[in-house]
Amino acid sequence: MRRYLDLWAEMLRICWRRAPGATAALFGLCALSIAAAAGIALSLRAVIDGSVHGALGTAVVGACGVALSHGATAVFQATIVDLFLLLADETDLELRPRIYGWIAGIEGLDHLERTDFLDRLEGARNNTWQLCTSLWDTVLAVHAALKLGATLLILGTVSPWLLFLLPFAALPLWFDHRGKQAVVEAETGTAEAFRLQRHLFQLGTRADSGKDIRVAGAGEEIARRQAAAWDEGAHLRYRARVRAAWWKFCGWVVFACGFVGGLALVVYGAAHGHATAGDVVMAVTVASGLRQTVQAVVGSTANTLGTRTALESYFWLRDYAAAETARTTGTAFAPARLDKGLAFDHVSYRYPGTDRLALDDVSIHIPAGTVVAIVGEYGSGKTTLVKLLVKFYRPDTGRITLDGTDLADLDTANWRTRISAAFQDFGRLETTFAEGVGLGDLPHLNDRERITRAVRDADASTLVERLPEGLDTQLGRELGGVDLSEGQWQRVALARSAMRDDPLLFVLDEPTASLDAPSEHAIFERQMARARRLAEQTGAITVIVSHRFSTVTGADLILVLDGGRLVESGTHAELSAVEGGRYADLYGIQEAAYNT
Amino acid sequence: MGDTLRLLRLLWSAGKGTAVVIAVIRLAERLIPAATATVLALLVSRVTALGSTGEIGAALLPLAGFGVVLLVGHAAEAVTEPLSYLVQQRIDGAHRAKVTRLTASSPTIDLLEQPEAQRLIRQAKADPDEFSQRTPGQAALAQLDQVADAVGVAAACVVVAQFAWWLVPLLLIPAFLNARLRYRGRMEFIQLWRSQLDVMVRVERWEETLASAGVGKDLRVFGLGDWAVRRLHQQHVARTEPQFAVWKRNLRGQLRSLLLVVPPLLIGFTAVAALTVDGHGSVATATAALTAGASLFMMIDLGYTVLTRLSGLEALKAYDELAELLTKDTGRPASPPVTDPGSSSLVRFEEVGFTYPGTTRAVLDGLDLEIRPGELLAIVGLNGAGKSTLIKLLAGLYEPTSGRILVGGGREMSELGVQAWRERISVVFQDFVKYELSAADNVTLGRPGVVPDKAVLEAAARDAGLGPVLDRLPDGWQTPLARSRTGGVDLSGGQWQQVVLTRALYALRTGAELLVLDEPTAHLDVRTEFEVFQRLAEQRAEAGVVLISHRLSTVRQADRIVLLDGGRITESGTHDELIALDGSYAKLFAIQAERFQQGYQDAIEEGELL
Repeated sequence: MRRYLDLWAEMLRICWRRAPGATAALFGLCALSIAAAAGIALSLRAVIDGSVHGALGTAVVGACGVALSHGATAVFQATIVDLFLLLADETDLELRPRIYGWIAGIEGLDHLERTDFLDRLEGARNNTWQLCTSLWDTVLAVHAALKLGATLLILGTVSPWLLFLLPFAALPLWFDHRGKQAVVEAETGTAEAFRLQRHLFQLGTRADSGKDIRVAGAGEEIARRQAAAWDEGAHLRYRARVRAAWWKFCGWVVFACGFVGGLALVVYGAAHGHATAGDVVMAVTVASGLRQTVQAVVGSTANTLGTRTALESYFWLRDYAAAETARTTGTAFAPARLDKGLAFDHVSYRYPGTDRLALDDVSIHIPAGTVVAIVGEYGSGKTTLVKLLVKFYRPDTGRITLDGTDLADLDTANWRTRISAAFQDFGRLETTFAEGVGLGDLPHLNDRERITRAVRDADASTLVERLPEGLDTQLGRELGGVDLSEGQWQRVALARSAMRDDPLLFVLDEPTASLDAPSEHAIFERQMARARRLAEQTGAITVIVSHRFSTVTGADLILVLDGGRLVESGTHAELSAVEGGRYADLYGIQEAAYNT
Repeated sequence: MGDTLRLLRLLWSAGKGTAVVIAVIRLAERLIPAATATVLALLVSRVTALGSTGEIGAALLPLAGFGVVLLVGHAAEAVTEPLSYLVQQRIDGAHRAKVTRLTASSPTIDLLEQPEAQRLIRQAKADPDEFSQRTPGQAALAQLDQVADAVGVAAACVVVAQFAWWLVPLLLIPAFLNARLRYRGRMEFIQLWRSQLDVMVRVERWEETLASAGVGKDLRVFGLGDWAVRRLHQQHVARTEPQFAVWKRNLRGQLRSLLLVVPPLLIGFTAVAALTVDGHGSVATATAALTAGASLFMMIDLGYTVLTRLSGLEALKAYDELAELLTKDTGRPASPPVTDPGSSSLVRFEEVGFTYPGTTRAVLDGLDLEIRPGELLAIVGLNGAGKSTLIKLLAGLYEPTSGRILVGGGREMSELGVQAWRERISVVFQDFVKYELSAADNVTLGRPGVVPDKAVLEAAARDAGLGPVLDRLPDGWQTPLARSRTGGVDLSGGQWQQVVLTRALYALRTGAELLVLDEPTAHLDVRTEFEVFQRLAEQRAEAGVVLISHRLSTVRQADRIVLLDGGRITESGTHDELIALDGSYAKLFAIQAERFQQGYQDAIEEGELL
C-alpha cells in the first residue's frame, strides 16, 4: 500500500509540475460536482417550497441554484473526463521514458531473455497507460464515494428515517461489485481467446505472413478461426455480463422497494405537516441520481483494481533495475592499450533457471593482439563466453581479467566504449541506413566519411548504391522505408561494428552466416585486416565465433568448446596435428563430406 | 444520413430480435426523465392538495407510479448492458473477420505491402484494446443512442411546454449550439488522430526495438541506451504535443459551454419560479418543467456519443477504402490465352521481368526457366540476385512486369486462376508463418481445403523427421506452439523449420505437384540438412522440387542447377556439367572448394563441428 501511495504522490507531483492548471482544475471540478449534486437537490426543494408558500425570494434563489447546478453538472462531467485523459498523457510522457530508460539501462540482458522476466517486463511496458491512469482512477473512485455520501446525507436532512436507506443503497453497491467482479474474471479468463484472434488478425493482414497464407489458400480459414476465437471469448464475457445484470437488478429492486417505502414515509410526514412538497421532490431527485453515482463508485473502483497488474509490473521493473544498478560497483577505466590481454580464471556460468553449466571451469589466457576463434556446437557455450566478455552476464565463479583488472571492477559503460561487436542476432534499428551504421560510434553519428569507410569494410557499398536514397534511405517498410534481406541487415550490423576506431575488444559472432561465398570472402579479408590493424594500434583482441572454418584457420588461437568446457586450444596447425583430437576428427569428416 | 442508415443496418444485421429489444430499452431509458417529471408533478400536486389532513391515500397512486418508473429504469439499465455488449461484439467480430478475409485474400501481395494499405488496416482494425480507437459496434450503438436521445429530448420538450411553450426554444437552442461546438471539437481530435497514425507506428516500433534482446545487445555495446530513449521520447512528444493543443482548446471550449448553458437555464428557471409564485402555473407543472428542462442539457450530447460514432465510422470507411485499394485493377492488359497442351513442364518462365513497385531496378530481367515434374531443381545465386523474388512470382504473389509465366500444361497463370494454381503448389518461405495454434494445425493449415487426416499427418511427419520434436511436445499434436497459449511451448528456429517442412510435405501428400523451398535448412545442422535433402529427393518422384540455397555442397546433388545472375538464368545443368562449363557457378564453387582445401568450408554447421 505504501508503495502505491508513494507512486501516486509522485505522479501527482509530475502532474502538478507539468500541468498545474489542469491538476488543480480536476480536483476543483470534482469538489464542485459534489457540491452541484447536492445543490440540485437542495435548491429544487427551495424552489418548490418557495412556490408553495408564495415566497418569491426563496423560489428565485432556488431556481438560480438549480440552473447553476445543472449547468455545471452538464459541463463538468465531460470536462472531468477530458482532464483525466490529459493528465494521464502528461504522466505518460514522464513515466514512459523512465520505464524504457530502465529497460535499456540495466547492464545485463536477463530481463530481455528470461521468459519469467519477460512476462513482467511486457506487463510494465504494455500497461504504461493504465499505470498513468491509476492515480486518477483512484481519485475518481474516492470522488464518487464522497458524492454518494453527500447524497445520502441530504436524504437524512429530509427525514432521519431516510438514513435507513443507507443499507438499501449499500446492497446494490455490493451486488454491483459482485457482478463487476464476475465480468473482470471473465475478461481475464478469456484473454487468451482474444489474444489468439488478435494474432490471427495480424497474420492475416500483414504482407510478410500474407505470402504463406495466400499460397496455402488459408485466408478464409484464418478469418474463420479468428472469428471463432472472438466469438468464444465474447460469448463467455456476455454470459458473465448477464450474471452481473442479475446481481445488479436484484440489488436495485431491493433498493427501489426500500426507497418507495421511504418516500411513503416522507409523504406521510407531509400529510402530517412534518415534511414539505419540496422534501418529496428532493428525495425523488436524489434517488433518481443514485444509481449513476453508485455505478461511478463501482466502475472507478474496478478500474483502480484493474491497474494493479500494471503497478506491480512497474514496481518489479523499478526494483529490478535498482538491484542491478546496486550490483554494479566497478569504477576502473579500461587501459588505453592492452599489454597482457584477457585471462579466464576458472570461469563458470549457469543460466538462471537451468541446471546445466553453460560454461564449466574455463581457464585460458588470450594475449594482447590475438585473433581468437571460438568453435563448438550449438549450446557449447561460444556465445555465452562472448557475452561474459562484454558483461551481459557475470561469471558465477571465477573471474575474467583485462590486463590484470577484474572485468567486474571495470566501469561497464567505459569498458563498452572500448568494444565493438557484430552479433548473430544483431539489432535491426529502423533508422536511416547512415544512422544504422553511424550508431556504432555515437559521437560520430553524422560523420559521413567514417560511415562510408565502415560501409566499405562491410562490403556494403554496392548495397548502398542500390538503395533509393543511398545512405539516407529509411529502413523498415512500415516506416515508409525499404525492407532489407537477412544478409543485407547483416551488412548493416557489420558496418556498425567497423565504426569505432580504438576498440580493445572486437567481437564477430557468426558475422557472415547469411551471406554468399564471395561476399563472405571479401568481408572476411577486410575484417582480418582490420583486426590486425587494431592489434597493432591498441593490442586489441578480436574474437570470432563461427562454425565456418574459413574464419577459423587464420586465427592465432582456436578455442574448441564442448558442453561448456574448453576441450582444446591452439593454432589450426597444432590442433589438426593432434591424433584423435576433436578438431582433427572434425576436419577429417568435413574433408570427406565435401569431396564426395 | 447514409452513415446513419449504415450504422443502423449494422445493428439490425447483428440480430433483429436483440436490436429491437435494445432499441426499445434505450428509448424507454430516454423517456424516464420525462416520465419521472410527470409522475413527480402528479405527486407534488397530490401532496400539496393533502395539506395536513393526515390522509395519504390520494398520493399512493403517483407513489406507486414513481416506484414503477424507478424499477423500469433499473431493469432497463441491467438488461441493456449485456445485450449491448453482445451486439457490439457481434458487429466487431464480424467486422474484424471481414478485414482479415479481405486482406488475406487479395491475389497478390504488392498492394498489401503499400504503406497506404497498412495505414488503412490500422484504421480499420477496430481492436477493442486500442484506447484511441472506437469500433463499428460501439458506433452503431452510439447511433442508436443519438436517435433515442432525439426522442427523449422531444418528450422532455413536451413536458416543459406544459408549463410554457417559450421555455422550449429558450433551452433547446443553446443546448443545440453547445452540442454543435462540442461536435467540432471532437471532429478536430479525430482528424488529428488520423494524421498521427504514422507517428504512432514509429513509437510502437521503437518501443519494441528497445525491449528486444537483439537490439538490446547493440544498445549496450555501443552505449546507445540514453540516445534511444531520448529518441523515443521525442517521437512521443511529437505525438502528444498536438493532442495537448487540441485538448486544451477543447477545455477552453468547455468554459464557453458553461457560458452558453447557464444563462438560459438561469433565465428560464427564475422565470418558472417567479411565475409559479405569481400563480401563473401550478407547482406541479413547474416541478415537471424544472426537472425535464434540466435533463435536456444532459441528453443533448455529452460529446462522447458523437466521438464514438465518428471514430467507429472511421473504421468502416477505412475498410471501404482498403477494399477499393486491394481490388484495384492492376491495369495489365489481358493477354490472349496461350495453351500448349503438349508441354510437359510444370512451370515455364518466358522472358520474365520484374521491378518492385516504387523502384527502378529490374530484379528479374528476361528470365527464362522451365521447371519439370519429377525433377529436383536447385537455384543458386548471390545475395540479392532475385531468388526469393522468383519464388514469389512463381506463387503468383507478384505479377511479372514483363513476360509471362506458363503453368500447369502451358496456360497463363491468370487463365488457370491463381487460386487453382496455388492448390497445386506448396512453398516454404524463408520467413514462414508460425501460427500460435496446435502443432497439428500448423501442419494442416498448409492445406486448409483438405479435411485433416491423422494418417496423412503422421506420414508427413515421418517424411520430415518431425518425430523427435513431437515426442518432446507435452500434448503431442495438440500442443499449441506458443508459450502464450495454455499448455503451449516455444520451439527453436530449427524445430520450427521441421514443422514447416512437415507442412510442405503434408501438402505434397494431399495433392500438391510442386514443392518450393527457400533456404529451408538455414537453422538446421548439416547432418539434419543432409537427411532433409535426401527426403526431398525421394519426394520428387511424385512432384517437382525447387530448392534455393547458397550452400553449394548440398546443392550439387540436385538433378539440375540453375544460376541466377543479373536477373536472368545464366547457367543451367548438373553439377558436373556446370563445373565443366567453367563459368560463374564453377567459380563460386571454386571459391568454396579452394577455401575448403585451405580449411575453409562454407557449409559447416554447428552440429557437425563436434
